[in-house]
Amino acid sequence: MHAEKLKNNFEPKIVAFVCTWCTYAGADLAGTSRMQYPSNVRVLKFPCTGRIDPLFILRAFQKGADAVLVSGCHPGDCHYMAGNFHARRRFATFRKLLEFIGVDLNRLQFSWVSAAEGGKWVEVVTELTEKIRSMGQMQEFKALELEECWSGKLDTAELQEAYNKI
Amino acid sequence: MNNIAEKQNTPLVDSAYFEAITTAIRMEARRALDSGEVSAVIGYKSGRRKGSAQPVIITDAARSDELVFSPACVNNLALYLTKAKKEVRKNGKIAIVAKGCDLKALAGLMGESQLKRENLHIIGIACAGVHGGNVEPSEPLSTGTIARKCRECHSHVPEGVDMTAGTLPALEQLAALESEELSRLEAMTPAERWAFWTEHLSRCIRCMACRQVCPFCYCEQCLCDRNRPQGVETTPRPAGNMGWHIIRAMHLAGRCAGCAECERSCPMDIPLNLLNRKMAQELKDLYGHEAGMQPHEKGPLAMYKENDDESFIK
Repeated sequence: MHAEKLKNNFEPKIVAFVCTWCTYAGADLAGTSRMQYPSNVRVLKFPCTGRIDPLFILRAFQKGADAVLVSGCHPGDCHYMAGNFHARRRFATFRKLLEFIGVDLNRLQFSWVSAAEGGKWVEVVTELTEKIRSMGQMQEFKALELEECWSGKLDTAELQEAYNKI
Repeated sequence: MNNIAEKQNTPLVDSAYFEAITTAIRMEARRALDSGEVSAVIGYKSGRRKGSAQPVIITDAARSDELVFSPACVNNLALYLTKAKKEVRKNGKIAIVAKGCDLKALAGLMGESQLKRENLHIIGIACAGVHGGNVEPSEPLSTGTIARKCRECHSHVPEGVDMTAGTLPALEQLAALESEELSRLEAMTPAERWAFWTEHLSRCIRCMACRQVCPFCYCEQCLCDRNRPQGVETTPRPAGNMGWHIIRAMHLAGRCAGCAECERSCPMDIPLNLLNRKMAQELKDLYGHEAGMQPHEKGPLAMYKENDDESFIK
């Protein structure tokens, strides 16, 4: 995107993990109905929300996502009968864990969007994008990613002194 | 920490208590091995350092007098019955010495179909507590040397075992340091908690002792060792460390028996059991699950109810 075309100072990067049967079809419906929604969301298709490992969410944050959206079928509509029920428990637990570690839970959004709810998909994505835009970048994991371990520091005062003695 | 009110370093239990347990274990091991009821006994024997103890597997009744029980018997022996130690398991019925927390680990493994109850002869111990980390093994069990997990233990007396060794003496109520620390963390702001955990986890050297010592980390190939695709960085960088510890806590959520072996074996003194304890507490609040001495048919994350809370989902 060209600099002069930027409407805002900060464009959030949002990773969406969606299930292929409901939300992916819902997002497709939003597209074919020519609904407008922010292009900040990167959609990744999974067979089921039950396939979405908490590791993927963590990995998205570590690789620079400002927010993660996880979306799938409404309870009872799962193509594999119970995938989203299991996912619901897993994500409820994972949220608690991230909260305890100190991650802002506003950056992790879960939603149920069915194949017929193109409008809801637009609404969820727009709302999340606006929220993250006002919150700014996700700093925690990015800072951690840039940080080196202790042995990476080669210019400490002690080491300089030791080098000079050689 | 704030155990000033407690009398420091006064022995909590009489040494006769440990002698009685040792005698009971030896007799039971001899009887079970002699009668051919079991093919091996997993227990503790004295280590080379004075007062120390180490795990031992005995197959000969003549060696049963080597078995001991002391406050230095910290290891969770359930580890020797997991998939990672296949050669131990295939010997048929095995006797195992189990403290309350070890018994919960055994029950967890049974619930996950890793063990069969009929293949075990459990020698339960009426356990008053064991040493924490960095303690001289010859020291008696006291308020200064007792492990943090034992201060707030609710499983002193084993249930559903084949034989209980020893009788539990009267125990005094000790300050629940771990719960206090947990509520202190919960009262912090997210930024403070993040600072707390990054500071602790950046020390991690990724020796994987916490994984190797955990009875529930029995996967033959750990997700964290895979590199195609790589899930978790293997180098001890702060980013990868955070990833590993979050994933570890997540994989143990609803399964952890609370033996705190991870925390004890950690060479960098990372308070890992705080994460485990927090997850156990959350799963109790959310789904009413608690690690117990009887196997659960299914763990809380392996089952679901149609009316589970979904207030966080839009």
